[in-house]
Amino acid sequence: MPPRFRMPSDEAVAEARALAERRLSAEEFNARVNAPLTEEERAEMLSLIDWFMRRYPTPAARLAQARQSYLAAERLRKAARGSD
Amino acid sequence: MESGGFDHVEFFRALEASGARVLLIGRQALIALGLPVNTKDYDLWIHVDDAAAVNQATAPLGLVANYTPELARPRGRYVLENSERVDVLVARSVSTVDGVMVFFDDVWSRRERVEIAPGVSVALPCLDDLIVTKRFGARGRDADDIQMLEVLRSRRT
Repeated sequence: MPPRFRMPSDEAVAEARALAERRLSAEEFNARVNAPLTEEERAEMLSLIDWFMRRYPTPAARLAQARQSYLAAERLRKAARGSD
Repeated sequence: MESGGFDHVEFFRALEASGARVLLIGRQALIALGLPVNTKDYDLWIHVDDAAAVNQATAPLGLVANYTPELARPRGRYVLENSERVDVLVARSVSTVDGVMVFFDDVWSRRERVEIAPGVSVALPCLDDLIVTKRFGARGRDADDIQMLEVLRSRRT
């Protein structure tokens, strides 16, 4: 049986969030923007975009789906917290 | 009404009805254009004179501004919040990470409107401008978003 999922600690979440929210220098940022994509990465991105636009063909549908995904993730997060 | 008490269609309806010059930026704008990314926050860039109208329009939805328009303007940004969080840029211009000044009026003049629900729409920066706005925050995920937006742009041409 796979190990039971455990929510990371608040400290770990805060640390990951701080890293993700860090403002990069212009050099760091441009290096990341200009990092060349492989053909495989590019094809994967296009495939994801095509799927998303086929599945949710209008901006309204896409925004509604994003909202539903967020609410579902929130419910999951609260349920996992509650079972700690 | 959605669970959680916040209805995003009503939010956009209120913004549109206010007559305020409001641009949806950030990841919600990317999603509207067709990028499969996740976010919980809303990011707006509004005209520097329209903060009071935005605050008044969204107050019935329970959103409370953390600064008055008079205090928000010199700061360049504020937050509307309840159980949701709406980050609001309220500035005539914003600098990119490279020091390039981007002017609201220019971006507004090139805006595109997308329909959120029947009779409800919101303005987005055009694709080229949206890419530029991703250079404001300059976080790692902004760079990743630019790469995806560039792929989307190449798909359109």
